[in-house]
Amino acid sequence: MILLRLISWQYARRHVLRTALTVAGIALGVAVLVGMHTANQSVLHAFHQTVDRIAGRTQLQVWSGDSGFEEAVLERVQSLPEVRVAAPVIEAVLSTGRTGQGSLLILGVDMTGDQGLREYEFENGEQEVVDDPLVFLAQPDSLIVTREFAERNGLGIQSRLPLETAEGVKQFVVRGIMRSGGLTSAYGGNLAVMDVYAAQKVFGRGRHFDRIDVAVRDGVAIEQCQAALEKALGPGFQVKPPAGRAAQFDSVLRVYTMTLNLSSVFALFIGMFIIYNAFAIAVTERRTEIGILRALGATQGQVRALFVGESVAAGLAGAGLGLGFGILLARSAVGYMGSLLHGAYGVTQRAQEISADPALLLGAMGIGVATSVIAAWIPARNAARVDPVKALQKGKYQVLSAGENRARRRVAAALAAISIGCLLMGGDSSVALYTGYLLSVAAALLLTPTLAVWLARALRPALRWIRPVEGALAADSLLQSPRRTSATVAALMLSVAMVIGMGGVARTSYRPIVDWMDAALNPDLFITGTETLADRTFRFPSSMTRDLEQAPGIEMVQSVRTARVIFRQTPILVVAVEVARVARKVKARVIAGDRDRMYRLAAEGKAVIISENLAELQRLSLGDTLELATPGGVLRLPIEGITRDFSDQQGSVLMDKAVFERWWSDDTVNVFRVYLEPGADAQDAKRQILEKFGAERRLFVLSNQEVRGYILRVVDQWFGITYVQVAVAVLVAVLGIVNTLTVSITDRRREIGVLRAVGGLRRQIRYTVWIEAVSIGCIGVALGLALGAVNLYYTLEMTRRDFSGMRFDYEFPGAIALALGPVILAAALFSALWPAEAAVRGSLVEALEYE
Amino acid sequence: MSRVAINGAAVCFSLSLALTPSQAQDARQIVEQAQKRTQTRSQRYQGTLQVMQRSGKTSEKRWRYERIGSHGNSKAVLRFTAPAEVKGVALLVVNHPDRASDQWMWAPAINRERRIALQDRATRFFGTDFSFEDLEERDVDQFDYRLLGDEIVEGAACWRLESRPKQSKTSQYSRSVVWVRKDDYAFARIESYVQEQMVRRLDYTQIENIQGVPTARVMGMHDLRRQSRTVLKLEKLEYNVALPDEAFTLQAMRRE
Repeated sequence: MILLRLISWQYARRHVLRTALTVAGIALGVAVLVGMHTANQSVLHAFHQTVDRIAGRTQLQVWSGDSGFEEAVLERVQSLPEVRVAAPVIEAVLSTGRTGQGSLLILGVDMTGDQGLREYEFENGEQEVVDDPLVFLAQPDSLIVTREFAERNGLGIQSRLPLETAEGVKQFVVRGIMRSGGLTSAYGGNLAVMDVYAAQKVFGRGRHFDRIDVAVRDGVAIEQCQAALEKALGPGFQVKPPAGRAAQFDSVLRVYTMTLNLSSVFALFIGMFIIYNAFAIAVTERRTEIGILRALGATQGQVRALFVGESVAAGLAGAGLGLGFGILLARSAVGYMGSLLHGAYGVTQRAQEISADPALLLGAMGIGVATSVIAAWIPARNAARVDPVKALQKGKYQVLSAGENRARRRVAAALAAISIGCLLMGGDSSVALYTGYLLSVAAALLLTPTLAVWLARALRPALRWIRPVEGALAADSLLQSPRRTSATVAALMLSVAMVIGMGGVARTSYRPIVDWMDAALNPDLFITGTETLADRTFRFPSSMTRDLEQAPGIEMVQSVRTARVIFRQTPILVVAVEVARVARKVKARVIAGDRDRMYRLAAEGKAVIISENLAELQRLSLGDTLELATPGGVLRLPIEGITRDFSDQQGSVLMDKAVFERWWSDDTVNVFRVYLEPGADAQDAKRQILEKFGAERRLFVLSNQEVRGYILRVVDQWFGITYVQVAVAVLVAVLGIVNTLTVSITDRRREIGVLRAVGGLRRQIRYTVWIEAVSIGCIGVALGLALGAVNLYYTLEMTRRDFSGMRFDYEFPGAIALALGPVILAAALFSALWPAEAAVRGSLVEALEYE
Repeated sequence: MSRVAINGAAVCFSLSLALTPSQAQDARQIVEQAQKRTQTRSQRYQGTLQVMQRSGKTSEKRWRYERIGSHGNSKAVLRFTAPAEVKGVALLVVNHPDRASDQWMWAPAINRERRIALQDRATRFFGTDFSFEDLEERDVDQFDYRLLGDEIVEGAACWRLESRPKQSKTSQYSRSVVWVRKDDYAFARIESYVQEQMVRRLDYTQIENIQGVPTARVMGMHDLRRQSRTVLKLEKLEYNVALPDEAFTLQAMRRE
């Protein structure tokens, strides 16, 4: 502590900017980690909280994916002796249509039995929550709202509230107001309760419920009741405590969370190099100081502890700042994430408050400090090894460096060889893939100093050609102090590699997605019940298919029912269509199987066609039997085709609608795909459909272009979150450049002073610093593009094998690379402005004081 | 012991005396006698229901009630006639001698029926102080009885009995205390308990002899936990009217 106060603190005070930059490197990494995860957790937490608060006294919930099930299941559940109360539920989210009020969670319940599960009434029991319970049940327009929602919207008993229903906008009447409490705080208070049978009508659910909430009979263990329910209902139903249903949501977001984790780790990794750089420079600068300390009797351990202590202090300060910035970042990111989840998964959540998980904050703090300590460990070790005698001998350091470089190159070559070996001989092994990936990155990092020197040497003639004096000085500065720049170059390299990897996946996925849209999403119009294709809140009756076909100008209507079901503990998408009709129009890319045969058998209900990513993720092959647990029992059908289909990140199963209707007892429709007769005008057809059905039914008629635009927007949003992280990573790298240049100028203060004394112009010194910065940028970009090419390969492989199972062809993102070069170079130049001015404005007397 | 709130039949004890009131009887015999004296083929009345909340707020509803059969082997349809928002809402109750009744509600505005699950019988009957279980008509054999003594209720000498549901019987109540008038075997009062807490009290007043059946014209149910009270008045009451069996089905309920 004494050494920290007497030596480290004094050093930090003398180098405020550099200390600040070091701390900022950690802070940014931690901020990204905390911000993105907190935003993500806030959305997840909002969902969990909604589930929990709505659950009330519910101990178990019965559901079947998101497909719902027939009413008759309720009686089967109620008849079990282990069950005390079983109440049906329909849950949906509607737009309130009120400015600033967002969406409203509608809970459809059977009020006759539901009060055994949820507390609706005022605590003192004086007043009724519902003005007249019989009227509430008798009138399908009845609604109970929370006091918060009523107050925010100026609603009272008998107030009217217009809401979208399956049959268009209907006026609802507030017939009850719930007092504030657990249930009413669900979904940020934007909660309304209606009769479950009215909800069936409002949302077009037919005679289906979404789920059943269960309270266990007194004296019966929850597990016992769960087992009895599972036995009675069969494998097509999930029976779990409310938290288990919420966990299903996490499972849906698995790919999203994994992407977030990967990017966060990358950002921190880059931050680590900034810290390494700062400490390596500090050790170099303080060799004399270390030598004196050692000469005065300080042990190697004490010197090492001094630098490790500094790194802990920097880590704590950086991580603390990072936590604060992270929370701020989360506040602005949470809305974006909510919108992304709604677009991609059809899940609407109202995350009003930031939910900062103490474990995450503590973990991030630990990771920040650990990152700092790990990054500082090698410089600290080097500091400890400083020979007090040699510390003052100029030239010894370079010899040691040369030895280290040779050893590093050998290790890098070995790692690269193993990495290539993993690539060539690893097959489909995930261990080989990840080992190969890590080793390739490690090899690149170890080679960075050597490659940076080579590239600087290669750049020297070009720099001299541009500015003979300044160019040569800048190149020499890089060549003479590779240690000073190598960590910054490494950080830049990682940043660029990350952009190439993430951006490359985005770019390479575009073309297959567009091809898929061309082949599969080729109807002229799409009719949906909601603004997004992923949301299945509103459904249409199957009879509407024939009504639509009778509209003028329509050649064919294909009805589609999608439902998320559980397959091997994973939620996947079932796409039920009239396969014979679809086969006539859709030319999906067949990965395996015979096109005619697979469509024929699927149309006859004798087979299913699965998506390529489902086959990849679940290791399914042509000819395998797909077993799907449905409300009607276990459906077993052979896989007769594997096609490229990007409908769902976890995979999709295409089956004939008749099969779905039979096994799920559900003939409702999510989406109508409408093909127009040749020559028919899409806008005319859209208008006519809206005129004919719009008055009696809630529907959205989207043109082909609108649907394609929507899908591409979702894709953009998906990658948008990684772009944010990439931007932060680049910022971290820029901080590194500022740091490096600041040190470079400090190191060369005397040199710069001499230059100025012999007639060097301020302009020339400025140019020298600028050229040095741009050179670092160039080297970082060049190495980054090379590592990025490798990173893209591994990212695509990870995407295929573990993330979404989607196979994208390798395509180096040339456009991104071209755009990235100027951005990084401009950032490098920008980061050189202040150091250059500092070099120019430094006191000539001070610089030459020694002389 | 019958839950006798809505169904007037259970309070209509015949005066055809099989036993004289002065004869010493055990509790079960008293209830058997009460049940025997109120045996009718059918019943019809128009009811007015007033719910008086603790806050002073009062609401009123009217319904038409028809029943065929009697005492645990009967079917009844209760159809609301006023106010306008609930007009047409109906409840079909099918009572069984050996198990709990089946109940369905029909809501014309939604155009569908809903089953009232057995688990829901303890809940309040559409905001009144009666529960769905109180609408059931049960057979004497579903309970055990014990004579507690004699007491005067509203000027009438009564037997005071305790009834407890048998193990096979599902009930929200752990026990009830019943006052049966000695002169006509009509029920005068029922107090229902959950554990040892009295939760509801039903008072029978304006007992008249209608077609030979002693019938309470007014029944007042007091929910002691909520401190609210519901009064049911029976008008145009008739017994043994001709009612077709097919009128007591889900299809018939939907048709009207």
